Amino acid sequence: MDAAEVEFLAEKELVTIIPNFSLDKIYLIGGDLGPFNPGLPVQVPLWLAINLKQRQKCRLLAPEWMDLEKLEEIRDHERKEETFTPMPSLYYMELTKLLLNHASDNIPKADEIRTLIKDVWDTRTAKLRVSADSFVRQQEAHAKLDNLTLMEINTSGAFLTQALNHMYKLRTNLQPSDSSQSQDL
Amino acid sequence: MTEELDLPGQDSDAGSEEVVLTPAELIDRLEQAWMNEKFAPELLENKSEIVECVMEQLQHMEENLRRAKKGDLKIEKFFPHVLEKEKTRREGEPSCLSPEECAFAREYMANTETYLKNVALKHMPPNLQKVDLLRAVPKPDLDSYVFLRVKERQENILVEPETDEQRDYVIDLEEGSQHLIRYKTIAPLVASGAVQLI
Repeated sequence: MDAAEVEFLAEKELVTIIPNFSLDKIYLIGGDLGPFNPGLPVQVPLWLAINLKQRQKCRLLAPEWMDLEKLEEIRDHERKEETFTPMPSLYYMELTKLLLNHASDNIPKADEIRTLIKDVWDTRTAKLRVSADSFVRQQEAHAKLDNLTLMEINTSGAFLTQALNHMYKLRTNLQPSDSSQSQDL
Repeated sequence: MTEELDLPGQDSDAGSEEVVLTPAELIDRLEQAWMNEKFAPELLENKSEIVECVMEQLQHMEENLRRAKKGDLKIEKFFPHVLEKEKTRREGEPSCLSPEECAFAREYMANTETYLKNVALKHMPPNLQKVDLLRAVPKPDLDSYVFLRVKERQENILVEPETDEQRDYVIDLEEGSQHLIRYKTIAPLVASGAVQLI
């Protein structure tokens, strides 16, 4: 899965916007949205929010967790703990990137927030690298990865699973057995 | 206008019961089927009923939807095994291929055999002119590692050892937890919908 596909899934997340137009309730396959009234906040999926913002039809409101102090707490907590702490949103990376790229004028302290999120991301991916390394070294058969977001798993996942597959093949070929899958040439 | 859709039930024990889904739930199921198919090392059960319902909802949607679902060439890579699985499928078990995919797989096989014959086999000594595609084409690697998220709690899943010194051990899968494990052990859980590949 590439990052664009993970972003596609992230775009279903709901965010609050303040439209500057009015529209009756709309009925989409994924659910009903609206009605839209100028000045009144309404929740819509991220993909729609970004689209409306690009057409200058709304203002975006930062999610509750996208706040300087809260993110500093999260960052410090993540640095202290050895395991992964739960993130405020399963798609924190994608939400931050899309909101800050398209609506930084609506998000207070956008630059500091960008830096904080990057710090959290770096800490978590470093932990992931370390734990992947020990997984491979100790030849574990199973790992529990609660609190990891899809984007983090996806970034290192493809490489990790392929490496593990190769190692598994090398290991099982050391022991000749009837059920081995190697094919006769 | 949130009409509800009738979808044949996934429970094959009680025969086909009708399950009523909202369009939003239908989209969720399609997404889950898409992700599972993408990350599984083998061809999974065809979810054509979900696809058909979505097609009804969006008549102007193109064939790309189905192609995107099975988009990483799994049929072409594993075609003799896929056809073998279809042949030996018992009555009443759900099929892995839609009728169009079945026709595609058969044609692909016929074309490949003709091609091999005309390009190489014809020129080999007579007693070597047969090729067993089932043995020549690599099987899907069910020992691949996959990431998964647990939707329904499972108990006592066996984890096989990697090295000789290790022993088998069992784990419980808590609802909502995420894991990295070999595909083979949890394949039936993917089919039943108890876990979601990520």
